[in-house]
Amino acid sequence: MYEAVHAHPDGESTVARFAKTAADYGFEGVVVRNHHDSRADYDAEAIREAYGIDVVEGLEIRADDPQEASGSVGNYRTTETIVGVHGGTNAMNRFAVESEKVDVLAHPMADNGDVNHVLVKAAVENGVRLEFDLSGVLRTSGGRRVRVLQSLRKLEEIVGHYDAPYVVSANPRSHLELRAPRELTALGEEIGLSTAFVERGLAEWGRLAERNRRIQSESFIEPGVERGRYEEEP
Amino acid sequence: MKHLPKHLQPRWRYLAVELETWPDAAIDRRAFQRECWYAAQNLLGDPGSAHADMTVLRFEFAGETGEAIVRVRRGETEPARAALACIDEIDGAAVGVRVCGISGTIRAAEEKYLGRRGQDSEKRNVVFGNEERVAVLRECVADVRLDEAFAGATDLDYDLA
Repeated sequence: MYEAVHAHPDGESTVARFAKTAADYGFEGVVVRNHHDSRADYDAEAIREAYGIDVVEGLEIRADDPQEASGSVGNYRTTETIVGVHGGTNAMNRFAVESEKVDVLAHPMADNGDVNHVLVKAAVENGVRLEFDLSGVLRTSGGRRVRVLQSLRKLEEIVGHYDAPYVVSANPRSHLELRAPRELTALGEEIGLSTAFVERGLAEWGRLAERNRRIQSESFIEPGVERGRYEEEP
Repeated sequence: MKHLPKHLQPRWRYLAVELETWPDAAIDRRAFQRECWYAAQNLLGDPGSAHADMTVLRFEFAGETGEAIVRVRRGETEPARAALACIDEIDGAAVGVRVCGISGTIRAAEEKYLGRRGQDSEKRNVVFGNEERVAVLRECVADVRLDEAFAGATDLDYDLA
């Protein structure tokens, strides 16, 4: 299971601190998803070695309008393993689900964002994962939390109906906001997301990273084309 | 009143909980107990909170880490775990909470799951992000004091000044 984090300078803890804490908590990897205007400076290989946990290089594109975001997606797609889009407005949600190059639409229901069947169908078609962001459940209370729960419920109903791909994250900004997988699954049960659902959403980050690494590796040519075994010259 | 016969006494489970904060915070047992009750009530509601019956039995806090044992009724451990996960601040100080294990006796919970983290920390000057800063070092992690907040780091991120 993986967790996607905002590391220093976007969040408060460095990638290494996140990786160390996540390894203690029983995660298999962390996905760094800093916003593209405050990228983290880290050595993924050294952190993997030191703490025995996978570190996935990713980022979250935060833009005011789709034109700006589209340029950023093109710029970062070739270098980053996971490219997310900071959702939360109708325009950005729509842009993300309609763009094949985007892996994850982060927190589509945040602020005043909304999702409907049209967007979810587009997400299924383009393989864009919709994020279930548990940060609002973990770190707010009262009326605000009620609205967050309502929006998660709605998202779960639509995603479940279309069997759309999704990821789950607590969206931590510091190592103190990180929660262990068992805590997240227990929380999921309380708010109406089954244990299997939450586990699958946490593991999806890892599957996504593995798939993208394979696609970006040297041996991959294009979909459907594989390097075969050739007869060797005698 | 005479105590209940053994088969009518409630069965308890003891959650071993690890806490962590930034270095400038101090948490006491009453504050933690209050936050447990609030978190349970907010997440599980009054009936759920009453069923779980979360009570802080042991509490130790020194520097920026702490440990506690929280008693809950048997069969209510998962809701209690969810409620504990929702504690994000205590007295305005951000905290990290983690359930490291569950046991049927206090002694087993303490022996198996608690007391594994080193407590001693020291203040040192470190170079973090090309600037000299004060940091609190503990084992191989460091909380570096920035201008207004702290940054969580490890020995991979800083050099001793």
